[in-house]
Order: sequence, then structure tokens, then C-alpha cells
Amino acid sequence: MPSSERFDIAISKLSVRYPDRDSDALVGFSETIAEGEVVAIAGPSGCGKTTLCRTLAGFVPSMIPAAVSGDVCLGGESLRNVAPEALATRIGLVQQDPDAQICTLSAWQEVAFGPENLCLPAPEVRARVERGLAELGIAHLRDRVTTTLSGGEKQRLAIASILAMEPRVLLFDEPTANLDPRGVQALFATLSDFGRTEKRTLVVIEHRIDALRALAPRLVLLDHGETVERYPARERIDYAEAGLRGAWALPAPETASGSPRIVVDRISFGYDEALWRDLSFTLREGEVLVVIGPNGGGKTSLLRLLAGLASSRTGTIERSRGTQVGFVFQHPHHQIFERTVRQEIKLGNPRDAGGVDAELLDARLAGLDDAVPLSLSLGEQRRLTMATTLARRPNLLLLDEPFIGQDRRNVLWMISRLREVVAAGGTAVLVTHDIPLAAALADRVLYLDRGVQLLGPPDEVFGRLRDLGEIAFTPETWS
Amino acid sequence: MTGGRGLHRSSPMTNFVLLLALVGVVLAVPSLIVEGAILLGVACLAITSGDRPAQFFRRLRFVTLFALVLFIAQALSIHTGQVFVTSPVRITAGGLLAGARMALRFLVILSASALFVRTTDPDRLAQGLIRAGIPYRYGYLFILALRFVPFFQDELRSVREAQRVRGIKVSVRSPRRIAHAARYTFVPVLVSGLHRVDSIAISMKGRCFGLYSRRTASREEPQSGWSLVALGVGGLAVALAIVAARGRWI
Repeated sequence: MPSSERFDIAISKLSVRYPDRDSDALVGFSETIAEGEVVAIAGPSGCGKTTLCRTLAGFVPSMIPAAVSGDVCLGGESLRNVAPEALATRIGLVQQDPDAQICTLSAWQEVAFGPENLCLPAPEVRARVERGLAELGIAHLRDRVTTTLSGGEKQRLAIASILAMEPRVLLFDEPTANLDPRGVQALFATLSDFGRTEKRTLVVIEHRIDALRALAPRLVLLDHGETVERYPARERIDYAEAGLRGAWALPAPETASGSPRIVVDRISFGYDEALWRDLSFTLREGEVLVVIGPNGGGKTSLLRLLAGLASSRTGTIERSRGTQVGFVFQHPHHQIFERTVRQEIKLGNPRDAGGVDAELLDARLAGLDDAVPLSLSLGEQRRLTMATTLARRPNLLLLDEPFIGQDRRNVLWMISRLREVVAAGGTAVLVTHDIPLAAALADRVLYLDRGVQLLGPPDEVFGRLRDLGEIAFTPETWS
Repeated sequence: MTGGRGLHRSSPMTNFVLLLALVGVVLAVPSLIVEGAILLGVACLAITSGDRPAQFFRRLRFVTLFALVLFIAQALSIHTGQVFVTSPVRITAGGLLAGARMALRFLVILSASALFVRTTDPDRLAQGLIRAGIPYRYGYLFILALRFVPFFQDELRSVREAQRVRGIKVSVRSPRRIAHAARYTFVPVLVSGLHRVDSIAISMKGRCFGLYSRRTASREEPQSGWSLVALGVGGLAVALAIVAARGRWI
């Protein structure tokens, strides 16, 4: 196509229904997105955002079976019969789960994969790879084996691999999900430049609209597959009123003064070299510790050590007698064992149908009791694993990025369940990149980076981070 | 995988050709001497590629155990040649020889394949295959197969950890428990693998895989003296096989 041609996207009465569901994921969705425009799509979990992205990229219905009606046109051309691999020259999709996107074994080769498929000359491929790696700040990872990267590093790699293809339209399905705050800032600064200088259309699905401020997007709110509200670009939005994540006004936590639940004494962790050394703290009954820090800083590893799933090179971890550990993993599919949601809830905790129904309703999974758990959205899978973990009545609750893919209502549900555990004398350790939420929820904050360990009340830790110039990790950056 | 010693530094295509040569020879020539010599050659290559001798043999301990089972099965089931023992089982020279050949062949194929996987960057190999004129889809089939090795290892570890925190006890002490273990271990890993296959297919199509009949091989392949060494070992194995076949060595 000639480069002067406009690449406006016209979505007209688009409806999508998956074979195993009894309602439409998208219901007559219509929208026009002008070339070069930045549009954010937000809405509750399961409202059809990911389906919209996958349909725009051509994966629904050609690779993901679904009944589709309506039409999507790009530059006036209907995309109905365009194969995904042909459409990918114009539309690039960064998927929600970076693990699912990476298909080679080295970071350099992963970024080269798309340009090589485009049959570009080898020097051009190499130049795009270097540019992509540099733009996402991961040039130092170029020779790393992809399976050894952290979640955030994989996310950056997945984004670099799509940017290297230089499509005219970029679709991002929750690009900040696995990124640390520093990475979120860098990503949107890059995308902002990309949109401005290259005049590319950006469609970003995001629960954390606060993270998108640098892009000043037009916002489309979806619910149950339909548009419920549109906000023009640069409009100030009341996040809470719009049902979005951003600012949090939670009741202040009470000062924890219970008995020690877990005593950590001079533990160290690292692979080839120590990520952190001599980490010591005592967690008390009724306390919430929130762990923050850059990707690859060993936050998940700390949770595994606290759960007794891994051993520290040095030091000791002592749990008080009667400690019952509950651990919600970062990737929920690892914790799902049964064939239906109902069986999954009952696994290890047999109870009557009424009890299961109540738990499904509480976790906002009612109506999905016979669904295959792994066919649920990531957000739904996380709520399911939270529900199954809480069913074991833990008094040491470990949560690894539980808020990824969750809308405001689901986050508030998770917080209320966490506080129930804490109010009953339990202790919670939460890993998150949502800094405003960390500030609102924590009794103490632990910041972990290579060689830097800060532990204390939120105000104290955020103050020290400010002094260190790590403003991406302070709440005011996101308020 | 670009650094390192020995076969890490030879070109992936050379390693591939070497693997084919070694496996081809042990399959084509039923000779204990050839198989033993090639196993020794593989051990030398592994050591020059960075393995400590003890490490090489430790890696083979499960394979050796299985090779021993093969040896015993062959020795007990083949009854030709001189008879050594008649009761309680019949053991003959033919059975022992067939068992030794089978076990050695198994050890050579597994150890050479493991060495190949450890020392060869599959991405670079796929690029080499493309340069050699092999359709890139086949090259990427190979990459994807290897991509799933660490994936399944990680999934298995995570599923086992999830079982521990969910209080699911897995044991293999009875057929019922084995079925239980399979259901709660292998089924989640397998289902997860199938989902991953789907999502990687989407990811590949989403980056124009299959759009054209050719694709660029962008990574330059520096030539190394180790490629010549590897080819020399492969050539030596083939020459040894020819001599063995003519001389009718056992």
C-alpha cells in the first residue's frame, strides 16, 4: 500500500461469541480510530477488551474459534478475510502474557524473528533488533536465554519484538501487567515518542489508566462487551467513579502488635551472584508487608523462601507453630488442577453445593462453575486461585502480583479478603508493582533491588526512594 | 550459548552433522569396538566442551541404568551361540553380545544427543538449516521442540510447588496413587503445554511467520577452528565404521 494512504480503523457492529459461552464477548461494538490516534480501552475484567484486540489482529476467528458478525476495516479495506500473518505487517499485537508470546530461545533472536519473517535485508534486521532492544532498555539482555528472564524482562522483550516490525497500528493488551514502575514510565515515554514521530496508531488495553498519563489517550470504557462511556483525550477522569484503578482511599491499617509469625534472619538470594544479602525482618500477626522493586530483583524468590518452597544460601527462616501458608502464584494456571471451576473449588476442601456456590459468587465467578478453569480469562483464573487458597484458611498469606488483570472492583474484593485474613490474626506478604496501592495497604514496605534493601513504614521507605532518585517507585508519581 | 569451549564454539550445523554421523554409524555398524570408541569420543568432546569427567558420567547415570535394563533383557531373551548358564535362566554368548551392543548403542545415541542439545544454540542451528536451503518451517519445528524442554521443566517445578501449597500429596506407591499423581501432575503440565502451543502459534502468525516462502537469516555465523575438529571427529567415526565393516570386527 502506498505510504500516503490513511490507516483509519473502522469497527462496525462487531459481535463475538465463543463456542463455550452463552453470551457475547463483544456486543455490536462500533468505534472509529483515526490514524495516529492513541486510544485506551478499559473496563471490568472479562468485559471483552482482549477479545477486541484479538479480533482486530485477525486471530479471532481464524485461530481462535468464535462466531463473529460485523466488520473491521483498516484504511477502507475489510479485514474479514485477511490472514493474521498478512495482517501482522500492518497491525502488531503485544499479548497480555509475555511468556505466551516468546517463541525463540535467545533475546536477540526473539526481536529478530518478526523482521526476518518480513524478508528484510539482514543489515536492516540487525539494525531494527538493536534499536528495539535499546528502546526498551534491554540491550544488556541480548544474549540471554529467554527462559531465564524475569516476567518484566520478558514483557519488555515481547514489546521490543513487536516494535521491531514497525506496524502502523500497535495493539497492547495490558502492557504494564508485568512491568515495574520504572519500566512502565520508560514504555510509555517510548510509545509517546513512537506515536508522535512515526504517526502510529496505538490502542492500549489497560486497567491502570494512571499509567497511561504520558500518552494522554482518548478513553473508551467497555462493559459486558458494549461501550458504556467515552472520554475525550486529555480529559481528567475520576478513576473511582469510572470504576478504574488509579487512586485508592483505603482505611488506614492498624498498627500490628501481635506475636511474631515469621522471623527472617540474614537470608541471601541470587543465581550466579547474590541479588540481596543478609535480609532480616520479623513479621507479626496482623501485619501486611508489601514488597516492591524492579523486575528481576528477587521478589518472587523471597515469597518462595517464606513459603518454604526454596532454601536460602545463608541465614534462617522460622515460622511460628501452627503457621498455615497460603500462596497465590503469579501465574494462576500453575495452581489449577481440576476440569471444572466447581471441582477446583472443592479440591482439598470438600463441601456442599451451597458452600461452593457461595464461594463462586463471592469471587465473582458465578455462572462459570462448569467452565474449564484454564479457559477462563487471566483475571478470572487469579480470582479462582485466590478463592481456593483462602479456602484453606491460611494465616500466612503470600500473594504474588495478584492484581494483574483485575479491575477496581476485583482489586477491592481481593483487598477485603486479605484484610479478613489479617484481622483474624493472619499475616500477609504482597508483591505488587501498583505503588499507590502499596502505599495505601501496607503496614511496612520492603523495597528490593540489586544491592539495595529498604524496609520500614511506607512514608519512610518512599521518602528514602525519593532521596535515591527512584521516583517511579513513589506514590505521588502515579497520583 | 555463543561463548564457552569446544563444541559451544563450533557452528551449529557442524554439530548437527556430527550428531547425524555418530548416530548413523552406531546404527549402521553393529560393532562393540566402534560403539565403545565412539562413546569414548563423545566423552572426550564433552570434556573439551567444558564438562568435568565426573559430571559427564553423572549426567548419564539414569541413561546407564536404563541401558543396563536393556542389556539384561537382551541377555535373557536371546539364546544363540555358546551357552554359559542354563539354570535358573539361560545365558548365551549371543545374548550377552546383543545386550552389550544394544546398551552401548543406546548410551552413544543418548549421550551424543544430550551433548548436542547442551552445546548447540537452536536458533543458530535453524538459521544454518535455512542457509543450507532447508525450508524454514522445518528448522523452526526443531527450535520449538527445544523451546519446550525448559518450559516443561519449569512447569513441572511450579506444579509440584503448587501441589505442596495446596496440600495435594503425590506418591507412586500403588497403581491408584500413580493414577492420582498423573492426574494432578502430568495433566496440568500437558494442558498447560497445549495452551502454550496455541499461544505460540498465535504469536508466530502475529509476526508474519509463514507469510513468505523464504525468510532472512540475519545472524552471521563466525567460523571457528572447533568446527574443523568436530567434522574431523565425525569423519573419523565414519572411517572407523567402514574399516570395522570390512574387517568384520565384533
